Amino acid sequence: MSTALLQELHQEYRRLYIAGSELAAGDFRLKRLLPQFQQLGERSPVFKKLGEGINALLEPGSPDGPAPGIQLQENTLLLESVLYTQGTTTVDGTPGPLPVRKFTLQTNQTYRKLAPVIEALTTTGSGRYEIVLDAFKEGVFQDLRLLPLAVSALNDPYSELAEYAKNHILPAYGPEIAGYLLESFNPAGGRSEVRKLEVIAQAGASSHLDVIVQAAENGSDEIRAAAMKCLGGYEEYTDALLEWSADKKKVIREAAYTALAAGGSVRGAERLIEAFIQKKDREMLASILANGAPSEVYAKVTALFQEELQAAPPNNAGKKITEKAWEELVPFLITLSHVKTPELDAIYSYVLKEYDRYISLGWVPLFDHAARYKQESADNAALEELAELAQRSMRHLPNYFHAAKRRVSPQEMFDRFAGLTETKLIGQAAKQAAQRSQLLVHTIEEQAVDLYWDYEVRWDASGVRQYNKKMMTAEEVAAEWDPRWLEWSIKQDAMNLACVFARPGHQGVQDYLRGKLEGTLKRYTYDRLANIFKGLERAELPELERLELLMSVLEENNVRNLYTFDHYLFEMMERFPASYVDRVKEIAPRFKYESKRQLEYILDQLVSKQ
Amino acid sequence: MPELTSTYVDSLAPNAAAIKNGQGLVRKKSFVELHQSENGELLFGKCAGSGKTPYECSVDFIAPDSPVFRCSCPSRQFPCKHALGLLYAYTEGQTFTPAPVPEDIASKREKAEKREENKVKQAAEGVEPKPKKVNKSALKKKINAQLEGLDLLEKLVLSFVRSGLSTIDKSAAKTLQGHVKQLGNYYLSGAQIELRRFANLMFSGNDQEQNYTYAVEQLTRLHAFIKKGRAYLLARSEDPELALDHESTIDEWLGHAWQLSELKEYGLVKEGAELLQLSFYSYNDAARQEFVDLGFWLDLSAEGGEIRRTFNYRPYKAAKLMREEDSFFDIAVVPQLYTYPGEMNARIRYESMSPRPVQGADLEQAAAKAHRSYSEVFKKVKNQIKNPLSDKQPVMLLHAAALGVTENGQYVMTDGEGTRLLLEDLPTIQQGTVGLLPFLPAGAREDCTVLVMFEHDLDQGRLRAQPLSVIKDEEIIRLLY
Repeated sequence: MSTALLQELHQEYRRLYIAGSELAAGDFRLKRLLPQFQQLGERSPVFKKLGEGINALLEPGSPDGPAPGIQLQENTLLLESVLYTQGTTTVDGTPGPLPVRKFTLQTNQTYRKLAPVIEALTTTGSGRYEIVLDAFKEGVFQDLRLLPLAVSALNDPYSELAEYAKNHILPAYGPEIAGYLLESFNPAGGRSEVRKLEVIAQAGASSHLDVIVQAAENGSDEIRAAAMKCLGGYEEYTDALLEWSADKKKVIREAAYTALAAGGSVRGAERLIEAFIQKKDREMLASILANGAPSEVYAKVTALFQEELQAAPPNNAGKKITEKAWEELVPFLITLSHVKTPELDAIYSYVLKEYDRYISLGWVPLFDHAARYKQESADNAALEELAELAQRSMRHLPNYFHAAKRRVSPQEMFDRFAGLTETKLIGQAAKQAAQRSQLLVHTIEEQAVDLYWDYEVRWDASGVRQYNKKMMTAEEVAAEWDPRWLEWSIKQDAMNLACVFARPGHQGVQDYLRGKLEGTLKRYTYDRLANIFKGLERAELPELERLELLMSVLEENNVRNLYTFDHYLFEMMERFPASYVDRVKEIAPRFKYESKRQLEYILDQLVSKQ
Repeated sequence: MPELTSTYVDSLAPNAAAIKNGQGLVRKKSFVELHQSENGELLFGKCAGSGKTPYECSVDFIAPDSPVFRCSCPSRQFPCKHALGLLYAYTEGQTFTPAPVPEDIASKREKAEKREENKVKQAAEGVEPKPKKVNKSALKKKINAQLEGLDLLEKLVLSFVRSGLSTIDKSAAKTLQGHVKQLGNYYLSGAQIELRRFANLMFSGNDQEQNYTYAVEQLTRLHAFIKKGRAYLLARSEDPELALDHESTIDEWLGHAWQLSELKEYGLVKEGAELLQLSFYSYNDAARQEFVDLGFWLDLSAEGGEIRRTFNYRPYKAAKLMREEDSFFDIAVVPQLYTYPGEMNARIRYESMSPRPVQGADLEQAAAKAHRSYSEVFKKVKNQIKNPLSDKQPVMLLHAAALGVTENGQYVMTDGEGTRLLLEDLPTIQQGTVGLLPFLPAGAREDCTVLVMFEHDLDQGRLRAQPLSVIKDEEIIRLLY
């Protein structure tokens, strides 16, 4: 039976459905098909019937016959039934065995576990990232059915999700994933193919070098660059990399340089030095070399750095020249930013010794680099160099402070630094002392206050972890800091520090901090309430008094736009006596956002305590 | 009490959100009291909620297979997050202090016992539930209304065919929706759904040509339905005594929702069955305006290897409160199995079941029920799909001598006689599965059992199938869900 003819008829009927059955009468395309059906109808009753149907549609003769619309539907109904029974079941070609994949994946996750992940990876919208992360942590991705989606996630429009798939989900399938990804790898592709290549290289570059080399040679620029970066460790490709490092395209050169820097071969190092000297790619090279390079490259750059410094222009050379000289110096500083060698140490010592010369050129950042280098090495010699530098420029007081903190005893720390802030009575000296004091307070605060940690939110069902501030513990303070810092802090009116350094039995700090809570608070103080109460706890003010203080501070201050209460304060509120119910109820409406929800939670707790 | 594991508790939850919320309560330490009765049959406790007094919730394992959840919270979700949280707290190993059974629960238990006793007594006395009286004149009225509705539908369909689908634009879509609503007045909910399906097909995809192809097919189906429905209704209006048609699906097409008692009346109930779920699928049926959870089952205790289906309809409006079905990995031991009128994949339903783990022998039995000759299978499938009102996607369990792939990448399964079946992903199922075939373990590529869903591809004029699951030895590899 001719299914092609039946298909053709079906197409014609479909056309009439779209155009309208009114147009069927005398339709010439139908007419053209009719003789074939009539001919076949002589042998087969089905074709005969179909032919009669066509005829009735073409020549709606008698007025009492069915309307063309009905006739068309009847015909189609019959035709569809015939088509359904005539469906071919043959398959072109001979089936060979299925390709083999060495994956041990299960299919034992339930629909409920899989469906949300599948939806997240096949749609767009918010909340998808979290669903995928949770599912991955639960091991849902070890289910076979998510594998294709994990691969397609590399192309997700939300790049965080694509990066997560690249860095975590796909590598978790083991080295076999490389072979699977290679099947669909397209060297001419874009960002998602680059990610694929990176996964392949990470899973086992050595077993797929041929493909990677080919991608490096023939892929799109993006792919070439990514592929080259994978070839760094392989000596046999050094020649190719050397060639690519002279490519016209910047991205290609950059990738080749990166691979050479990571590879560590002698010839690679030579090429990098050569390129660095050539200046053209110096800036680009600096950021590559900063992440690691063979030691001979660093040695050479250090030597060049010294020459460059010594050739610095005289201080009357004019702004343009000194600025240009500085710009040329920057790539050296970047390249050497993680390097620690005696040669470099000597260079920075020289820089510090020549303070007057270089500062007159306006090269302040040079001293930042030197100070950081010295701060990190911080042997005794470096410490004295930093002390001298800090004396010359207040800017480097923190470097000196940090270095000293690691070398000298707590007592000596206090002696060295507290004295720097002695109040002067007049003029410039007084102003500088005040600035020094402020800087010092700030430096210590960085070490002792506002350290971050995370905690669980009890007032919210989602239970997400958030960040919170904490300060240095009392034990650490006792072990590492001179007790005299407390009086010093109070004297400098460094409230946060007074809170950290507060200790039991010190009446002064209790009075000082309570004083801070009187009357209407400044916003700065209000935002640091947690520190004050932590300080009062350290000063061992009885708990009930502290709770009462907190309650009255909340009552007396009408802060409208507070977003959230510090977790420490929240925990204090959780310990409020049940009798505070009405007082909390009174103030709760004043608050908005999360602080409101926190207070409502507290209120619930208080009510159930009653 | 069954062994409480978190996966068991997961399976009790109505949906994934309830699981999360229940666990959230445990994490938030919202449970202020946790107790169990002396014999451990009852877990109960108090859980802080948004109100002043905490909710009292309990889970009663007096009948270990069907735990009873009770809670004083107002949630309409069942079981609520508090009862689930209570169980999660137990699985996490929190301490439940022994306490006497609270009074109100004791009295509720007593009442339940009495109900149970009454039921047993009634059954023992052989009291048959009174046969429902049929109000003949009302039935006649209803049938006449349905006939009227069919006339209306016919006029509408004919008007589409006459003026052509190309004239139906977005503004016509609105009037079409009006007609859908109108059909609701004629007791024709089935027809209403199919007309809405037509409207959806017309405007669903971006490819208008493909929309037309599906819409034309739907129109011919509506035409066939009108013809067959009218003949059936006319016969019934002549003879109101005439029983419902319990062999074909025409009543369902007309919108009849079969009740279990009716199925029983027609003898469509079977005592004792053991069901093995082979696949599961859940989809959004926009024409029904319902989510549909669809399970494919094999009745191990029955003759033949017909695949049965369970449907769980969750209307959009109530979807949040209804239990969302899930993949089921055990054997469901069912005391009474109801089968709906239907074809190859008739719908089944049961009121209660108890799970037992799948054993190797079960899968052996399942594999033995698979169809071995594809040429006979093709005959069967074609015989069903040629009928315009039949399900166009029959599902069957087939034995495969080998699974393979041709040079041009077409997946194929072959039976013992060398007959081949083309395997392809069907467009109506959103998840593709053939791409997963190369991941089958080496042993499962030959001499295995495959659950497939057939479909006739009208454009290409060929029959194809999508594999849903593969059974080999002691494992079911589920390619879909």
